[in-house]
Amino acid sequence: MMVELVLCGRGGQGIVFLTRQIGEIAAARGLKVISSETHGMAVRGGSVNSHVRIGNFHSPLIRQSHADFLLSLDASETSNNIHFLKPTGLIVENSVAADEPGVRRVDAAGLARGIGRVQLENVVLLGFASTLDGFPVSVEEIRSQLSNDSRAQIRAMNLEALESGIVAARSRK
Amino acid sequence: MGNEAIGRGIIEAGCSVAAAYPGTPSSEVLESLVRWKRELNHPIYLEWSVNEKVAFETAYGASLAGARAVAVMKMVGLNVASDPFLSAAYLGVRGGLVVVVADDPGPHSSQTEQDSRFFGWFAKVPVLDPGTPAEAREMTLRAFELSEKYQVPVLLRPCLRVCHARQNVSVELPRSIADVGPFEKNWTRWAAIPRYRLVLHGELNEKLEKIREEEPEAKPVLLSEKPGGSLALITSGSVSSHVRDIVASDERLARVDVYKVDLPYPANEAALQQIVDTHENTLLIEETYPVLELQLLDRRKVTGRLSGDVPRQGELVPEIVEDVILKAAGLPLAEKNPPVIKARRPSLCAGCPHRPAFYMIKTIFDQAVYAGDIGCYTLGINMGAVDTCLCMGASVGMAGGLVRAPRAGNETRVVATIGDSTFFHAGVPALINAVHTGAAFVLVIMDNSITAMTGGQPTPASMKLADGSPAVPVDLERLVRGCGVDFVEVADPYDHDGMKELLLRAKNHTFDENKGVSVVITRRPCVRAPNVQICTDRFAVGPDCDLCMTCVKDLECPAIHYVKGEKRMEIDADLCAGCGFCVHICPSRAIEARGPQ
Repeated sequence: MMVELVLCGRGGQGIVFLTRQIGEIAAARGLKVISSETHGMAVRGGSVNSHVRIGNFHSPLIRQSHADFLLSLDASETSNNIHFLKPTGLIVENSVAADEPGVRRVDAAGLARGIGRVQLENVVLLGFASTLDGFPVSVEEIRSQLSNDSRAQIRAMNLEALESGIVAARSRK
Repeated sequence: MGNEAIGRGIIEAGCSVAAAYPGTPSSEVLESLVRWKRELNHPIYLEWSVNEKVAFETAYGASLAGARAVAVMKMVGLNVASDPFLSAAYLGVRGGLVVVVADDPGPHSSQTEQDSRFFGWFAKVPVLDPGTPAEAREMTLRAFELSEKYQVPVLLRPCLRVCHARQNVSVELPRSIADVGPFEKNWTRWAAIPRYRLVLHGELNEKLEKIREEEPEAKPVLLSEKPGGSLALITSGSVSSHVRDIVASDERLARVDVYKVDLPYPANEAALQQIVDTHENTLLIEETYPVLELQLLDRRKVTGRLSGDVPRQGELVPEIVEDVILKAAGLPLAEKNPPVIKARRPSLCAGCPHRPAFYMIKTIFDQAVYAGDIGCYTLGINMGAVDTCLCMGASVGMAGGLVRAPRAGNETRVVATIGDSTFFHAGVPALINAVHTGAAFVLVIMDNSITAMTGGQPTPASMKLADGSPAVPVDLERLVRGCGVDFVEVADPYDHDGMKELLLRAKNHTFDENKGVSVVITRRPCVRAPNVQICTDRFAVGPDCDLCMTCVKDLECPAIHYVKGEKRMEIDADLCAGCGFCVHICPSRAIEARGPQ
């Protein structure tokens, strides 16, 4: 398998958390994974992105027009990263707007707020994305990964957010 | 993560002392050591040193006492540690001494794009340059071996794309703690006067020649299956990973010979020259200065940074590397639509205590020159409250010069701002200088009790050391008084009236009564610090708002924004941290408390 994903958003939205979850799940399946994260000055509310490459890669960076998925936690950041997406790639965006060709949208922030913590929007978006064709990690794998968190409260909230993203995707099909 | 892989290598090497000063992209090395010390019950001594010079000297002392030791820093930190670093190369080491220096081509989170391999060359210190996290772990182990074998410090230079890359890395059990025996007195070496330094310089040159000739890492290694192409690529470190992926993904490049050098200084010049001589063209792709390129004696068939074929500045991202390779191979460049990027500017967090402090400084001192420093609070530029930013501690040093311009009727009023950790790091000598010379400026030390920008490491004022064991906290007020400052006062930056009153008194002391430097400490913990309870009070904009935008332009709070179409202001309850400072600064008193969320 060779799959490349770009994740983007604002600093503080939990991009690094999602990157690690996807990387750990793929690695646990025995796949070769390399990823890249943003740290430092940029994460103080600035633009943040990360790259995940599953397959026989050495570099942690995705080239322009090579990404299969762009997961965007902030719609205003999508355009800053769209050049990474290949022509047949899919955008998965945290937004209240409707879907259009090549773009699947879910109001992850709204759903997360409904659970009581807008900070869970990242996990909602991951749950939503995991139901899509070709997404490299499955609903079951993410569920089992998040269940490993030893902190009971965080585990429960993450799982609730995950289910909420999955339900949002399935209710549309 | 690459930095964790380096940490793991340090533990596995039987290292027993690690000292670091935090700085992106290096900070996670010591943080991962904290974790392994706990998980493996390893005896390694860990410290966040006051600055990089002290970190290096701590590690160097441990090496002389027989231990394997490491100092960790970002590349500009090596500038701070350069004095002992260069000298230590001459004197040599006893226990293996590794200096991990993380480079930041781009730069993404730094002041320069300097290449620490070049610094190694200048200092005559061997450099290992990992390309991936897995290589970083292996090279860490190798660095300790080389250091002990040749009795020189060894520099490990990971770039950002290694430090913050994640991949599976296989690990081994830690070796037993290394010990080459207790300190041996020998003043002609460890306290050498200039006459003996000359001898030591000769010894160092011999060691470097031996490494260049004999160590396999100094020779280029062929990464392609078999040589024989007309174009050779020579690369090193993180950019070598991009080169490998690009060459592997393009059939037209199948006949290109790719070589990688793991020890780019001192590189085996003869082996490099042989590659050049046996190919029609050789392209050098290295991050960020032409270190291998400059070691080639005959560059007539060579392209790279010196020839202008590789850009002279900026990170070598895969798109640029691809173009450079295609051009060298005589192939048409891939068509690319340059992305239109409107990056969001970083901003102080909602509730950050620096924001009200900057707001009040700007209100009281208005048109003063604001000498700023390195940390989260550099973002005071967004509020017009930071005019300069040079390097760690320079706010205080530069303030001492900004007041000295010999202009007739010089009315320049200078206000310097610096964080607590940066003040400890490099601000103290500059403050002593200002007091001694009678420089008249106001210094605001923004004390959030943590090194916030790099992820919340402790400062010398903390109650705990890196690994959580008890520390002796250094009292900031006593330190400032000890520098000779008479006016030292503390205020809570959330306290609007208290801050205002204190800054007015400082202004009076320094500028009206001409009594020299005054120091105001604004103290409140970082909102991101562990165990800090974020206030649950929330606020709303009432009907009296006249859209003057003071809260957006002057306070620059990320939680407040203008709602287009509805012509009103809104406070985002998700982002708001409940500091309530906006209530005080709204000219039309339109912001109302809504009670706890």
